[in-house]
Amino acid sequence: MSVNWNDQTPIYRQLKQRVLGMMLDGLLKPGDALPSVRQVAAEYQLNPITVLKAYQELVDEELVEKRRGVGMYMTESALDKLLANERQRFIEEEWPAMLERIRRLGLDVQQLPGLMTTGGDK
Amino acid sequence: MISVTDTVTSSVISARSISKQYGKQRVLDDVSFEIAPGRIVGLIGPNGLGKTTTLKAILGLGNFDGEMQVLGLDPRTQRDALMNEVCFIADVAILPRWIKVKQALDFVAGVHPKFNRAKAEKYLANTKLSPDMKVKSMSKGMVVQLHLALIMAIDAKLLVLDEPTLGLDILYRKQFYQNLLEDYFDENKTIIITTHQVEEVEHILSDVIFIDDGKIVLETSMEQMAERFVEVLVAPENMEKALALQPMDQRAVFGKVVMLFDGVAQEMLANIGETRIPGVVDLFVASMKGVAK
Repeated sequence: MSVNWNDQTPIYRQLKQRVLGMMLDGLLKPGDALPSVRQVAAEYQLNPITVLKAYQELVDEELVEKRRGVGMYMTESALDKLLANERQRFIEEEWPAMLERIRRLGLDVQQLPGLMTTGGDK
Repeated sequence: MISVTDTVTSSVISARSISKQYGKQRVLDDVSFEIAPGRIVGLIGPNGLGKTTTLKAILGLGNFDGEMQVLGLDPRTQRDALMNEVCFIADVAILPRWIKVKQALDFVAGVHPKFNRAKAEKYLANTKLSPDMKVKSMSKGMVVQLHLALIMAIDAKLLVLDEPTLGLDILYRKQFYQNLLEDYFDENKTIIITTHQVEEVEHILSDVIFIDDGKIVLETSMEQMAERFVEVLVAPENMEKALALQPMDQRAVFGKVVMLFDGVAQEMLANIGETRIPGVVDLFVASMKGVAK
């Protein structure tokens, strides 16, 4: 399997985002096992250190837990945490970027709430 | 002195001031490097400028000046002992055309004490290869599979691959590295790869060593590399600012200028344009220019 990684973000981050995406989309559910580091490394042709680093961040954020000798599992509280994190990230990172774009495009901020309820219809 | 002994025992390879001359031509000039266990190291450089000579020195194939320890052994004087722990593949075209699968197994079983025949046979059972098949009647993909079966069944601590996928279709090249990661590599093993297909291996590498003109131009882990080097797509209005930060290289892409910086803070660079992580190839090209200046 080949993946097109972008060159803006370190690959381990992109891999982590991929796992987060799977969690948010419900492809991985609380209690599910994550594929082993070896499997992911082989599948995506990545150095195992890269995969480990992505997994380690997930462990640090308590979205994934290591069960000794068995592997990595999505934690029960992961989805709630993840949604909270994602909301925070949206407010702190994505929203300011969006706001910047709105300014650059010269859009009238006052008009936007109206667009939201009409689903962006013109 | 203590720290020196420490590095010697914890390194898989410790090379100090290695030099090699063919006649009047100096192919390795005072080269030193350390390789730790559990790493996948890419040895990258133009042809004929030190790569193969370095591999030969590691394998004890030929003499050189300087000090070299591979798995704690001197490859020049302890080559037999060293070969028990090392597996070396030049390129996959090296198997004789007349040899049968079972003869290849017999041969490796005879020459390599760490060869696990049952493991090789188990691997082969998942392929279309049969014991009586000859290399000359195999497709290239099958030859790779035979090769892989032989490598994976050798419990070697160090695997040296010199252009391992030369002449293979892209499909089999991928399969080669995929199997290597899945069935062979673990944190106690070390792989050294030289290849021209840098893009193909760059994500599986943990370290790169750039060699040019007999010298090491850059030796870095991929993690450090990503922290240290940044490529910036410089916006035209920021050209002066960007040049003041002393880029190590610059090139024009679609009318925009891409500059490569070494050790400049990310935040500073984000102000002058879109930043990204440089590819190994671009970094190598820039490093070579760096030596020339």
